[in-house]
Amino acid sequence: MKTTARIMVPIILVLAISLLLQGHNLPGGGFIAGVLTTVAFALVYVAYGLDYLDAGVLGRDVEPGRGIFEHRSVTAFRRTFILGLAIAVASGLGALAFDEPFLSQTFVIVESIPIYHEIEVASALAFDLGVYCVVVGVLLTILSVVGAE
Amino acid sequence: MTDQLVAAPMLVVLTTIVALLGLRRWPRVQRSASVGGGLAYALAVGAVAWSVVLAPDAPGAAAYQVGGWVAPFGVTLVVDALSAFMLAIAAAVGLSAAVFSVLYVDRANQRVFYHVLFHCLLLGVTGAFLTGDLFNLFVWFEVMLLASYVFVAFYGGPEHTAAGFRYLVLNVVGSALLLLSVGGLYAVTGTLNMADVSRRMAAPGAYGVDPAPAVGLAALALVTFGLKAGLVPFQFWVPGAYRSAPLPVTAMLAGVTKKVGMYAIVRVYFTVFGGATVGPSIAGVAGSSPLSFLAPVLLAMGIASILVGGVGAVVRDTIEETLAYSSVAQIGFVAVPVGLAAAAPPGSLRRLGLAAALVYALHHALAKPLLFLATAAIRSATGTNRLADLGGLGGRAPVLSACFFLASLSLVGIPPLTGFFGKFLVFDAAARRFATAPGPLGAIVLIALLAGAVLTILYTTRIWTASFWGERTPAVEDAGVDPRQTAVLAALALAIVGVGIWFDPVFEFAGAAADAALDREGYVDLVAPTGGEDA
Repeated sequence: MKTTARIMVPIILVLAISLLLQGHNLPGGGFIAGVLTTVAFALVYVAYGLDYLDAGVLGRDVEPGRGIFEHRSVTAFRRTFILGLAIAVASGLGALAFDEPFLSQTFVIVESIPIYHEIEVASALAFDLGVYCVVVGVLLTILSVVGAE
Repeated sequence: MTDQLVAAPMLVVLTTIVALLGLRRWPRVQRSASVGGGLAYALAVGAVAWSVVLAPDAPGAAAYQVGGWVAPFGVTLVVDALSAFMLAIAAAVGLSAAVFSVLYVDRANQRVFYHVLFHCLLLGVTGAFLTGDLFNLFVWFEVMLLASYVFVAFYGGPEHTAAGFRYLVLNVVGSALLLLSVGGLYAVTGTLNMADVSRRMAAPGAYGVDPAPAVGLAALALVTFGLKAGLVPFQFWVPGAYRSAPLPVTAMLAGVTKKVGMYAIVRVYFTVFGGATVGPSIAGVAGSSPLSFLAPVLLAMGIASILVGGVGAVVRDTIEETLAYSSVAQIGFVAVPVGLAAAAPPGSLRRLGLAAALVYALHHALAKPLLFLATAAIRSATGTNRLADLGGLGGRAPVLSACFFLASLSLVGIPPLTGFFGKFLVFDAAARRFATAPGPLGAIVLIALLAGAVLTILYTTRIWTASFWGERTPAVEDAGVDPRQTAVLAALALAIVGVGIWFDPVFEFAGAAADAALDREGYVDLVAPTGGEDA
């Protein structure tokens, strides 16, 4: 189990990021990338236990007696969710500043970049990033709270 | 350039939600932000209603293509007089309930996402009133429901969990039916935009659409809308849910989310299916359109609601249960004129029916939240809502009692209060219907309305004599009424009196809303669901 997690987690995370970045033109997007990221975290939780993220990866002390809602990672997940919602709403409101309807999107193609040659920067990416943060934050909060029961 | 104002109410609530989430650490600031958000919402609704509908040079209606995607491909928001009227109701109830929540719900409970969820509820309501897209309507219903699920189970006791679970299961089934209906309509017409569906249903030959399934699909949607509105036979969730939710939220549920169900019936049947004719007539129904099918069903549901709710309200032993049954009965008074309008041929009677329903909805949205909030004030003063434990409140808390009395009178229908005009118009519509088409149906409607009115007098009198008159009970003797709560009640009571005295502009607004609901071609032209081909 731990071996599988060790191999799979980086692959899943890279795939999630690629889905997030291509989401506005190809299959993918913030939601599915967020779900995949959560899957990677779930794998870590299943293989190593709930406290591993705090104690093993980040090197923090975990106080055993406290409730799951005071867990520092859960607080961070909730912050991710709020941040994501703020990003998504702000990206929609941004269009209003340019006198366009709510949620209007546009894109810019940046030319002559080494290796990539050209990159399409879409404003939809900001919204997708917001969705991604919301999904990751909410699903991980649910996962760790329900997992702790 | 689109008129950004159309989306303003929705954007205000969205921003409020994000701000409230960000302010969780500072409860005091969060509470003021919640009230501020309610105030900003009311201002935004006022600005929209004024600039789109009420101002002398107003266009009367406005469409907003979200994200710049033209109809029918994108989601369209539409403000016409009907939407503006309903938004005004939502704003009045939302603001007073938001203020009252801060004063009533205890501080620890306010910290667990109470205000965030309250504004989510408001967001769902706003979206449902604004949207011009059938699937989007379903989405806003879900937003509204998700917030209300949490509120019904908010206090977490066994009876709250039971009520919450019942409410959840019932509404999940209802949502599935609505989704089936929306999916079916998409399969039949090939579009989800309301204006586009309306256009295609009116001229089925030109678009290769077979309109026959629309009656059944619309009936599926009617079940869900009736469930939201709490009409008999879908009323059984109402008392449990209203008893369990925090009382300011109950005021919101009774005042606004029920009206969303009625609004959806009017919008979908009159605006979207108004022009449709179905080939063969339906068994046992005169006429051959979804409307002629709606008329007997909605009349039966409305009459049954009036009687079941009224009889149920007479025998309850707490104030809020009586009020919960009463709101089943009152929504029947809104459904009956809509049914009469559906039965009437296009013309003045149909318009009168819809206007009567809207005025009654406005009256109920002012009086019932006031009653629920007054109940909340009584509970925070005395600690109980059981009629048996109350008595003599009239002398102990005169202003609170006066507000309760006023709302009860409005419910009964005493001039010059708003309720009088609501009842008067409903009876007017029923009487005219009886005069133009004498027969057993018209007589039954009139008798049921009369019986409902008598039952209303009975149960309001019963609450009044049991809890406001008589000997003071120990609970009442020790009561300490919060003057700030009373101030909110007094503001709502003044609104009831004010709308009653200056009724003429309100009636014109309701008439414009009824016209907007019936003006199918105008709605289609406004949204212009041609994909920009010949705009």
